[in-house]
Amino acid sequence: MKDTLSQKGWVSTLFPYTKPHWRGFSLAFILIVVVVLIDLAQPLLVREVIDRYISSSNPDIRAILRISSVYLVIVLLSFGVAWYQEILLQRIGLMIVRSIRIDLFRHIQSLSLRYFDRYNPGRILTNVVSDAEALNNFFTQFLAYMIRSLFTLGFIMIFMARLDLKMAMYCFLLVPVIVVTVIQFQRILQAANAEARRRLGLLIGFLSENLGGMSVVQMFHQETRQSRRFDARNKAYLAASLSENRRFMFFFNVTETLADLTVAALVWFGGQGVIHGTVSFGVLYAFIGYIRRFFQPISIILMQMNILQASIVAFRRIGRTFAEMPDIAEGCCRVPEPVSGAIRFEGVSLEYTPGYPVLHDIDLSVFPGDKIGFVGATGAGKSSVMNLLTRFYDVTTGVVSIDGVNIRDWPFEALRRTVGIVQQDVTLFAGTILDNVRFFRTDITAVRVREACLLVGADSFIQCLPKGYDTVLSERASTLSAGERQLLSLARVLIFDPRILILDEATSSLDSGAEEILQEAIHKVSAGRTLLVIAHRLSTVREMDRIVVLENGRIVESGTHAELLGRQGSYRRLYHAWSEQDKAA
Amino acid sequence: MSGLRIVTVHCLQNPSSYITGILFIAASCVLATWIPRLLGQVTDSLRYGHAGEGDIAGFARMIVAVGAGRVIAGWAGRFLTHMKGRELTYTLRRELFAKWSTLSPSYYHTKSSGELISHALSDVDIVGDLVTLGLNMSVTGIATLIGTFWQMVVHVDWKLSVASVGPLLFIPVLVRRLGPAIRSQSHRAQEALDAMSQVTGEAVWGVRAVKAFGQEAVFNSRFEQRAEAIFEEKMRFARLSALFSSLVPLMVNIGFVFILGYGGFLVATKAISLGDFVAFTLYAVLLRLPLEQLSNVINIVQRAVPSLDRLATLLSVEPEIRNRPGALTGQVFHGDLLVDRLTFRYPGSDHDVLHDLSFSVRPGQTLGIIGAVGSGKSTLADLLIRLYDPPSGSIRIGGRDILDYSLATLRKGVACVPQEGFLFSGTVLENIGFSDEEPDEARAERCAVIAVVHESILQLPEGYDTEVGERGARLSGGQKQRLAIARMLYKDAPFQLLDDPLSAVDLTTERRILDNLRTLKASSGGGASSGKITIIISHRLSAVQHADEILVLQEGRIVERGSHETLLDSEGYYAFQWSLQNNLFSGDDGKEGNDDDKAYFPKDFPDNERQEPDALPAVFQVVCPEDLP
Ligand SMILES: Nc1ncnc2c1ncn2[C@@H]1O[C@H](COP(=O)(O)OP(=O)(O)OP(=O)(O)O)[C@@H](O)[C@H]1O
Ligand SMILES: Nc1ncnc2c1ncn2[C@@H]1O[C@H](COP(=O)(O)OP(=O)(O)OP(=O)(O)O)[C@@H](O)[C@H]1O
Ligand SMILES: [Mg+2]
Ligand SMILES: [Mg+2]
Repeated sequence: MKDTLSQKGWVSTLFPYTKPHWRGFSLAFILIVVVVLIDLAQPLLVREVIDRYISSSNPDIRAILRISSVYLVIVLLSFGVAWYQEILLQRIGLMIVRSIRIDLFRHIQSLSLRYFDRYNPGRILTNVVSDAEALNNFFTQFLAYMIRSLFTLGFIMIFMARLDLKMAMYCFLLVPVIVVTVIQFQRILQAANAEARRRLGLLIGFLSENLGGMSVVQMFHQETRQSRRFDARNKAYLAASLSENRRFMFFFNVTETLADLTVAALVWFGGQGVIHGTVSFGVLYAFIGYIRRFFQPISIILMQMNILQASIVAFRRIGRTFAEMPDIAEGCCRVPEPVSGAIRFEGVSLEYTPGYPVLHDIDLSVFPGDKIGFVGATGAGKSSVMNLLTRFYDVTTGVVSIDGVNIRDWPFEALRRTVGIVQQDVTLFAGTILDNVRFFRTDITAVRVREACLLVGADSFIQCLPKGYDTVLSERASTLSAGERQLLSLARVLIFDPRILILDEATSSLDSGAEEILQEAIHKVSAGRTLLVIAHRLSTVREMDRIVVLENGRIVESGTHAELLGRQGSYRRLYHAWSEQDKAA
Repeated sequence: MSGLRIVTVHCLQNPSSYITGILFIAASCVLATWIPRLLGQVTDSLRYGHAGEGDIAGFARMIVAVGAGRVIAGWAGRFLTHMKGRELTYTLRRELFAKWSTLSPSYYHTKSSGELISHALSDVDIVGDLVTLGLNMSVTGIATLIGTFWQMVVHVDWKLSVASVGPLLFIPVLVRRLGPAIRSQSHRAQEALDAMSQVTGEAVWGVRAVKAFGQEAVFNSRFEQRAEAIFEEKMRFARLSALFSSLVPLMVNIGFVFILGYGGFLVATKAISLGDFVAFTLYAVLLRLPLEQLSNVINIVQRAVPSLDRLATLLSVEPEIRNRPGALTGQVFHGDLLVDRLTFRYPGSDHDVLHDLSFSVRPGQTLGIIGAVGSGKSTLADLLIRLYDPPSGSIRIGGRDILDYSLATLRKGVACVPQEGFLFSGTVLENIGFSDEEPDEARAERCAVIAVVHESILQLPEGYDTEVGERGARLSGGQKQRLAIARMLYKDAPFQLLDDPLSAVDLTTERRILDNLRTLKASSGGGASSGKITIIISHRLSAVQHADEILVLQEGRIVERGSHETLLDSEGYYAFQWSLQNNLFSGDDGKEGNDDDKAYFPKDFPDNERQEPDALPAVFQVVCPEDLP
């Protein structure tokens, strides 16, 4: 039952993609049939030549040559048809794979962060790259062979049935036997194939992670250990793929043996029939001739079962990804324009892992244009508060609203336009600096990019690079220093001109000089905007309109610098820790 | 190096398996051709009516026996070749990983990991196909072909045989003609796939940034371009290979035209018998399947050659950083660190990043390094652990050039906190004990206590067994950084190198960590000969303030040096930074005026408001290195 359900799963995933190509498929189908017919015409032609021209008393050489040239034309025609049919199927297959890939990628992009927390990038990558690739074989190889073989099989069966229905029926008994075997084996084969692909995903995941952290591996001199761990995964995959292969071969051999047994049975029963006179010799002779042709297409079909299994598994894996629903649903309210930037947290709590709350009962309201500093020990939940505001994660309880509209009701596009964040971990991409700062949006001009870079103080180092803004960064911009990367990510957020600007330790890798420039820039930029700044250096937050102190996921204090100092609370302790450092000097 | 060598070397290493495999497959094909002969005998004996039930039973048994023989032989042959082929893919992946783990960062700056993954994923698979499918099909094809052709020549007229297979001689010509085009097209298709993997990889690991900016559409369209390119390139490939695979049957069919015409002529002129002619037409049909298989083989080979070449190139990259011949392996890695007139530029760059640095650190001492963004601090750290090679003789440890030590000795002797604090997916414990085969829980806990992360870890859902996620995504910034510190402490090496280890840590925690580190250092015998050398790079002066010596780097030069006190007194960059960080002079005023400034709206950004670099205090003016004398 469960199996049929998942069967339905992959069929219904695939079906919409094949739909636009029905014409192509029908044409390919017809062309394949034409090729099969031309092939089948060959023996007829020979018989014609023999009967009409050769075995007659005075052979007609001219006629023989004429028929040969007609056949040559047919052959050339069949060549053209076969070629066109193959290209047609390839084209359809590639088009389907392309649209599946694009949809898959879009879908993955729409999933929320919890999905990415759960699955490693290697797994996602094999899904998009190699699972989709496996589908291609389905259309280009499996379908063509299948249609061709089924047709050949059908014609041969018709010929056999016309010769002697009873004997033919005995031979055809083999067909249900094989079908049953195929069905029996398919579950085993699919399970083996799915396991192999799963292990391949793990292998690639491990590889992708280690390629990213290779310098750390080398620093800790763990190359051999990591190679060994890679090897373990590699071996596991090898074992799975060998076992898959063994099962397939077993299955294949079972069916081949069945075929041989049928031939032997035919000889045995047919031979007896001839001896006892119940079967005419001629019929047996013809049958023996046909029976081999009967098995050829069957064995070709069986050989393609491999591809079928692999594609079904690939479909399932892709289907499963499609079935992942973003647990952050997009809202569809119309938001008030222009956005003023008021934020409200009401009784908000957050659990990343159920049962382990990270934020408790956060209540906070921020007026448009307010500048709020967040301080607190590491792990207190500062970044988590911001994760809620950007809707990377949804609240477990409570409500977060911007301009009085629950952010669950905000369309993503509007929300992302309104809230801009510089994250603690900088992410830059392979590409030019220009493209990185404008996030590959070609509609943003280079002048604007330069202005933003000037503002944050990144322009000077960019100008020093040999190609300036057109310098191509490597993956993760690893040829820049950490501070330079951070400056670029700051410039990037300014380009997008958000109403609410969040800086999550956006200056942590900067020296105080650069930070000073930046503070200046931020002050300039943030006029009229809501600004939320997380910082460990109290000098950064001191001049904010309000400072919020978080401790273990709760807001323990909030107020201006002076107010907080007046209380005997955490902030005062923090401040003293900081100023004692002064005295120690 | 030609890629085909990979396959030949592999085959030569397993000669017996391949030879037996090939023999088995060939035997299976030969046995398979036996069955029609048996059937012929059955009909013959029936036709002449002298077959008894016993004979028929004998034939049936023979068929079963031969059938079993062919199935078993085929099984054995395929089993061997498939096993070896899969072993080859396993070996290739292992070799790739081993090679990649010897390559230094400069290699990874030129290749994206998505691209490398696509090599390990699809190029290797294509090569695997070559060995399994390619070998199987070619042996089957050739054996059947030879068998059939032999039957033709022996039993029937040789002239007709030659005429019928004559067109097949065009196949090598076709290979020469179409081959290069197919190969280079296959290469382009693989490259398109690489490009797509790269974008996918970026979109997946950069998902937080993509989402934060709501720029999914941008990535979707980049992806679509790549997917489109794959479609185009593969379509071109398909056109070529379809041409090839349909030309081969065409040749067979043209051969058949000859049989029909020329054979008919021969029969008509009584040169051959009618029976021979009929047999010939049947053989011609038999030729077809093996030839189709062989043309498939050729396609597989054409597709595999570029992949093999790509793999060969990858495997033959020489690591830039490697042991010198006769590198010191048994040596203790210990003693004074001496940096002597170190000047460095990145490979392929046009200016020096470090100029003429000289300093020394004795065991038991701590060196602090500060400096503006991009001043070369991390570069210096990378040189000390030889992620890049310093010029010969410029960095010495215990009186010897670090280039003389083996990489293993060097890297065992240095423990680092890299600026990017990379964590691996796995548990907290595995990450702290990364330098150990089997992480010791008690020791990991001790290190976590020193790095002030123990309490945070205990609050995680599964404590030390919590999975941290890809690159530590499930931890807070400060937790990641402190785990990286604990990981360094766990390694307990004579050199400790901390690159901006506290940037994401709050001040209270920072102070506790620094105190712990100092206590640890003092208790582990700060004696001149046995103590550790600690180098701390930081933007926070509090982290270096207690160091024995502090270097101030600017544009890759040491501009100030000395202890905290002397540097404060000299009133240079250090003193200025100190005052900024402790807000001694900016006070509560100063910023107020800014509130009236216009907001930064890129659309109407006023030109006169541009922050020109020369409007800034001289201390953080940035000068391009080329402009320096
Ligand atoms: N994606 C996640 N999945 C599970 N737990 C998480 C995730 N992100 C953060 N946490 C946990 O939530 C807690 C709060 O993390 P958060 O990142 O909000 O801290 P923070 O205040 O920003 O700290 P820091 O100053 O170190 O950045 C931490 O204990 C962390 O382990
Ligand atoms: N692989 C590389 N190839 C070329 N240039 C590089 C490479 N890595 C770094 N650089 C350049 O060298 C300079 C020094 O970089 P480095 O990472 O050493 O700076 P840093 O002092 O550590 O700065 P930060 O405080 O930001 O970490 C920077 O201008 C950077 O752009
Ligand atoms: Mg944080
Ligand atoms: Mg650095």
